[in-house]
Amino acid sequence: MGYTIAEKILARVSEKSAVHAGEEVLAKPDFVIAYDFPGYTDVIFRQMEEDFGIDKVAEPDRYALFIDHMVPATTTQEEELHQLTRDWGAKNKVPVYERKGIGHQVAAELGYATPGAFVVHFDGHISQLGTFGTLAIGVRRHLLEAFVKERIKFKVPETTRIDLTGTLQLGVTARDVFHHIVRVIGPRGCRGHVLELGGDTIDDMSLEGRQSITCLAMFTGAITAIINPDERALTYMKERARIDIDPLFSDPDATYASRHEIDVSTLEPIVVVPPSPADTRDLSEVAGTEVHVGYLGSCASGRVEDLELAADVLEGHKVKDGFQLNVIPTSQEIMEIAAEKGIITRLINAGAFISSSSCDYCFGRMGVMRAGQRAVSTGTLNVRGRMGSPDSEIYIVNAAAVAAAAIEGRITDPRPYLKG
Amino acid sequence: MGLKNLRGRVAWIFEDEDFDVDQIVGVKNIKIKDAAELARLAMHAEDPDFATSVKPGDLLIGNHNFGYGHPHYPPMIGMRHLGIGGVLAESFSPGYWRGEIAMGFAQVACPGVLSAVSRWDEIEVDWAANEFRNHTTGTTLPIEPLSDGDRLMLEAGGLVGYLHARDKEEATG
Repeated sequence: MGYTIAEKILARVSEKSAVHAGEEVLAKPDFVIAYDFPGYTDVIFRQMEEDFGIDKVAEPDRYALFIDHMVPATTTQEEELHQLTRDWGAKNKVPVYERKGIGHQVAAELGYATPGAFVVHFDGHISQLGTFGTLAIGVRRHLLEAFVKERIKFKVPETTRIDLTGTLQLGVTARDVFHHIVRVIGPRGCRGHVLELGGDTIDDMSLEGRQSITCLAMFTGAITAIINPDERALTYMKERARIDIDPLFSDPDATYASRHEIDVSTLEPIVVVPPSPADTRDLSEVAGTEVHVGYLGSCASGRVEDLELAADVLEGHKVKDGFQLNVIPTSQEIMEIAAEKGIITRLINAGAFISSSSCDYCFGRMGVMRAGQRAVSTGTLNVRGRMGSPDSEIYIVNAAAVAAAAIEGRITDPRPYLKG
Repeated sequence: MGLKNLRGRVAWIFEDEDFDVDQIVGVKNIKIKDAAELARLAMHAEDPDFATSVKPGDLLIGNHNFGYGHPHYPPMIGMRHLGIGGVLAESFSPGYWRGEIAMGFAQVACPGVLSAVSRWDEIEVDWAANEFRNHTTGTTLPIEPLSDGDRLMLEAGGLVGYLHARDKEEATG
């Protein structure tokens, strides 16, 4: 009987020859990552000292802090929180990455997504490191355990395997694939499990597309997602990986809680209708709905191919008068590549408002909506009040559909704009 | 040290699957930090008398995947301030579960519980027997056993106490 990649990684970091789902292990995370946020990092730093008498972490290279929310600061309290983080990092010799982009993306760029590594964060979207064969799990407040203990107590999760087959149509993206998975298996289809993805659609998909899908695993109920690293993932990480470990792979006879095969060859652009992240429908069902704001960005979407697709849709068109199109590349590295490729210029010429990378548009700190406004968004979430007033609404769509809605001021199928 | 049984009345039944707990206080109140204010707001939109009608030890009931979405802590800070002793549900969203267990707030996965209770029934969770009992109707159901880590965390009253308990465990080795 074989093992899944998740079981193999947890066996390695628990110093056991093998573990199976259901066992509780004491696992040593290879990396412990957090972004500074009130109630999380400030509390962890205080509790370490006051409750546990720990002055400094023992192995600072295992830790990484990101300043990506509340960037740039708009209140003195926010800047004070950032300074607390910088000071703590300096004292502990823990790197603090600031103004580099959204941490979950930058963590990959900096090699924390070492294939075969085990990573914990408090935020569940860290799951996207799974793109590179890294088991990355958002443990919420339990992250304190990884700051005061070398090892965390962890129950080895079961794995659900999903194989995606078929070639995506033009104008249909990884983002549509993820929400289609939720539509097929349901919001608890993978509850408490690791979502392992594979199949020829994944094999053919860019790393950026895979990051979009693995980022959002939580909305299937999964605790993370992972993809067995292929040549593409291993090549990307070859020069970046921070530790020297062997990549791991699921055995052909690994045990899965369940397996699904989903054909995406006829998939159309989707929309996730507010206020539930599980209400996936074909975009055509809500075509014509008036929208006022477009957000293209987030840790899920906002990478080079998303920006390029939006620029393609906007080519020869202008953002409709009065429509607010906010484009925030996921990282500064991505923004630089997009600038070099001329994508940023094309977006600006079409009327997009471009900001440097930050998490702030995704959770209603910037680009806020008033009551009655409606957004199309590639953000992570569409729950009530996420981008401002509880009486505003968020329709989640792919990057092309954000751009198409920006042209027309209503939700519309982006595909006609891509056929030249 | 064993876990003390939960015993109280059914204070509320959340019938929706995939229930977003932020709705308990309303999204517009989700940034409030004051526990007393959160307690006053809890379920106020559905039942203005909720805060005054519940008693310490009362329990909440949920459907499948309770806590789905992007759960925040304030709703259950308000519920604990009212003395709510825990949540029993058909099943839980893992992120919500992990967050509340870390706060030392009892969560009980009990398939079948939704159809086994009415509001204000007197119910009990027996951790030793892994059993749910409805004393009003006489119904009993098995509950899903806690993992060792979750049990230790509830016994210790939450994450900080749990980590101190681990310190002791490791010291005595």
